[in-house]
Amino acid sequence: MALISFSSNFEPLDRLLDLQRELDRFLRHPMGFELGPSAAGVYPPVNVFASQDGIVVRAEIPGIEAEGVHIEIEPRRLTISGERPSDRNEGGSYHRRERQFGRFSRTIQLPADLDAGKATAGSRNGVLTVRVPKLEAAKPRHIKIATA
Amino acid sequence: MTTNELTPKDKQELREKEQTREGRYYVPDVDIYENDQALWLRADMPGVDQQHVEVELENNVVTLLGQVSLQEYDGLSPLYTEYNVGHYQRRFTVGDVGRFDGEHIEARMTNGVLELKIPKARKALPRRIAVSAS
Repeated sequence: MALISFSSNFEPLDRLLDLQRELDRFLRHPMGFELGPSAAGVYPPVNVFASQDGIVVRAEIPGIEAEGVHIEIEPRRLTISGERPSDRNEGGSYHRRERQFGRFSRTIQLPADLDAGKATAGSRNGVLTVRVPKLEAAKPRHIKIATA
Repeated sequence: MTTNELTPKDKQELREKEQTREGRYYVPDVDIYENDQALWLRADMPGVDQQHVEVELENNVVTLLGQVSLQEYDGLSPLYTEYNVGHYQRRFTVGDVGRFDGEHIEARMTNGVLELKIPKARKALPRRIAVSAS
């Protein structure tokens, strides 16, 4: 957290840099989260975040329409699969071909205290977001202190 | 072609030169295609929307710049991460820039993919001359 902020324009950048630091820190400790059947090295790479009411799974899947992604959720497993169709042209010539196309499928293990039935997913600008809320029973509760 | 399995690639951090803007920059994956009408450039920049992409053709250098939005990460704390989030930048030198019409470049963003069309200048377009029968 920045102690001093000079102008509101700096704020988003600060947040980016904070995020980056967090990411870097966690990249060095990749065992902090239980991964499940298909670990790193399977497309798409994922980032998992904790939110106020559960977890958020993000994956970068550029060039794929929302209809081209299939998300399957079981009590402790999330599977993201689909296909990125090729947009390569016929005729003419390619000077560079760095982008990849094809099928993918990735399964990650989820913590036990999540309510898979209430998961939601959205795709924006080539970034997939899956939100899985915690089970009601797992959410923090306020407990009033009874006065004698 | 489409039955290939996709494999993950590590993002490459931009090491071109010192940036004037803060934040981290990555090199987007790019396809460059040329036909007799235009030069097409497609760049994967997930997380960048239409409003935050800049394309510039100056002298013979095309610059692509895409800014990601961090508001999407408000209130989230990382549990496990495999990829980094940052802006995108890449430059290309266009050989024989006179062949292209820099005034009519078209750009659009779809699902995090920037598509750029740099049409060929009129004089560079192949011309067909009709031969009239006598």
